[in-house]
Amino acid sequence: MLSEIYVLYMREIKKWAGRRPVLIISLITPLFWILLFGKSFNIINVLSVEGLGVPADIAIVVVGALRSRIAQLFGTLDYFTYVASGMIVVFTLFHSVFSGASVIFDRRLGYMSRLMASPIRRESIFIAKVLATVFRVTILILFLLALSYIAGFKFKQDLSILDLVGALIVVISISVTLTSIFMLLGFLTDSHEFLFAIGNLVNMPLMFSSSALFPIDQMPDWLKAIAKLNPLTYAADLTRYFLVGRHLDEPYIILIILIAGAILTFTICMKVSVKALERT
Amino acid sequence: MSIVIEADRLTKYYGSIQAVKNVSFKVFKGEIYALLGPNGAGKTTTIKMLSTLLKPTSGDAYIRGYSIIRDSLNVRKVIGVVPQDLTADDELTGFYNVYIQARLYGYPHGIALERAMRALEIVGLADSANRRVSSYSGGMRRRLEIAMSLVHDPEVLLLDEPTLGLDVQTRRLMWNLIRDFKKQGISMILTTHYMEEAEALADRVAIIDYGEIKAEGSPDELKRKVKGDRVYIELYSEDDAQNLQLEISKLGVDVKLDSSIVIVTAPSASDILPHIVGILAGKKIKSINIVKPNLEEVFLDITGKRLREDSFDAFKYRVFTHKIR
Repeated sequence: MLSEIYVLYMREIKKWAGRRPVLIISLITPLFWILLFGKSFNIINVLSVEGLGVPADIAIVVVGALRSRIAQLFGTLDYFTYVASGMIVVFTLFHSVFSGASVIFDRRLGYMSRLMASPIRRESIFIAKVLATVFRVTILILFLLALSYIAGFKFKQDLSILDLVGALIVVISISVTLTSIFMLLGFLTDSHEFLFAIGNLVNMPLMFSSSALFPIDQMPDWLKAIAKLNPLTYAADLTRYFLVGRHLDEPYIILIILIAGAILTFTICMKVSVKALERT
Repeated sequence: MSIVIEADRLTKYYGSIQAVKNVSFKVFKGEIYALLGPNGAGKTTTIKMLSTLLKPTSGDAYIRGYSIIRDSLNVRKVIGVVPQDLTADDELTGFYNVYIQARLYGYPHGIALERAMRALEIVGLADSANRRVSSYSGGMRRRLEIAMSLVHDPEVLLLDEPTLGLDVQTRRLMWNLIRDFKKQGISMILTTHYMEEAEALADRVAIIDYGEIKAEGSPDELKRKVKGDRVYIELYSEDDAQNLQLEISKLGVDVKLDSSIVIVTAPSASDILPHIVGILAGKKIKSINIVKPNLEEVFLDITGKRLREDSFDAFKYRVFTHKIR
């Protein structure tokens, strides 16, 4: 079974690597998001008292108070760093939601029937596709991190290799969770229009109702309640904890829950997908 | 002769529509068995059930003794399927497509490489092995499908309309390939709506229409069912045809009418023709045609309709729709 998963996985990767223009575009797109969005909203300058005629001694106190509030909320004084670390999770989402399209196209272009007539476990088809998407997402996120670093991402002072591994585990877990769900959707429907519509529908709400772009502390209560249910919040908080050093209560418990959630979602979605494949 | 495939009252409903009705047949080792019938007769549904892609509503079939319902994994190991639709991945090379298949049948990397190359050589695609499938012609794609189905040396090959829409030359090439497989002892089921294909290749033919096998036998056996030759006389109007039918029937032969065509069936065309020509003297006719017994005539006899070829090229149409999707 491992060798069939591997060869199906390699097929997906080869197809991905073969689409060079798409590959390059998908690597560049997140960069614009981070650079243009993250760099334009500079909280330090927004909350400055300069030019307001505030006496110097008071200004020091006020600016000090503002800065400690920002540091408390965002965990950093640099909004670019805040957004870039959140965007890691957002782009994991963006790439996962359309993963089911490959199932629909394999079915339409006949490849799926070829697979179904081969003596392989149906699970392999699902596993290979999810693994391939997770691999692509991981490569993309590593590339994004490297570019963010060049653009002035402020890692925490005592960053260790373990922190990077931790952040990567977060990305992989959340990617497995989201990809499994949207891959399953691909097995359940035969309309790619439906899939793209669902993808676009959930992208924005999931992104804005999480701590990816803004801290949830200053959100209205109803939104805060939603954000606390959103797995992206925990994923974003964790990446920030590992990379930027923002305070987080019980990070390892959250990490374990994220991993467990990923395994559970993956297993359930796999089982349902296989059922959907055998329904015909 | 050992039985390799045995279908036992295979039945498939799509909702309330019965696509295949109680289809039973046996295929022996090294035999080519053709399912001949028009589009929508249930040929593809039968192939899909045999290749374990569809579960029968009732009935069962056994391939090398394995049930297609309970033992589908073992069935898949011994069969190769050449589906009607193209299945190769456009974005990959022909070679990689075949290589993946070999790996899926459990061969390790090195052996899979060798097998893929050999399969491509057999179908004559070795020179184009490293080109992307998107650059292949329709005939090349068909041959690639065969290579993909062949890479694990199946004992049974299921071919669903293998030459649909191919030009004459490529069709001959396909036929020769299929004959070679037979020499190697591969048992085959082949669906087709080209009667000349069934006649050229099949050891036995099942005539299938509306999901039922209407007749079965070797092409010669089936042709013997049509008693005698046929003379087709086409006239300019249905009234003329009716009059002519009346006149010819006085000769004591069987005469049928198909709109403005008069169909005369007689033990020997050369004996009856002088009499018919006598009757035709002075009449205006569009065409006259003498046909020796063939499967087309058998089909007409049994089902009451012709096996007409599609007016448009179904295969090219499908390639076209693939491209725009």
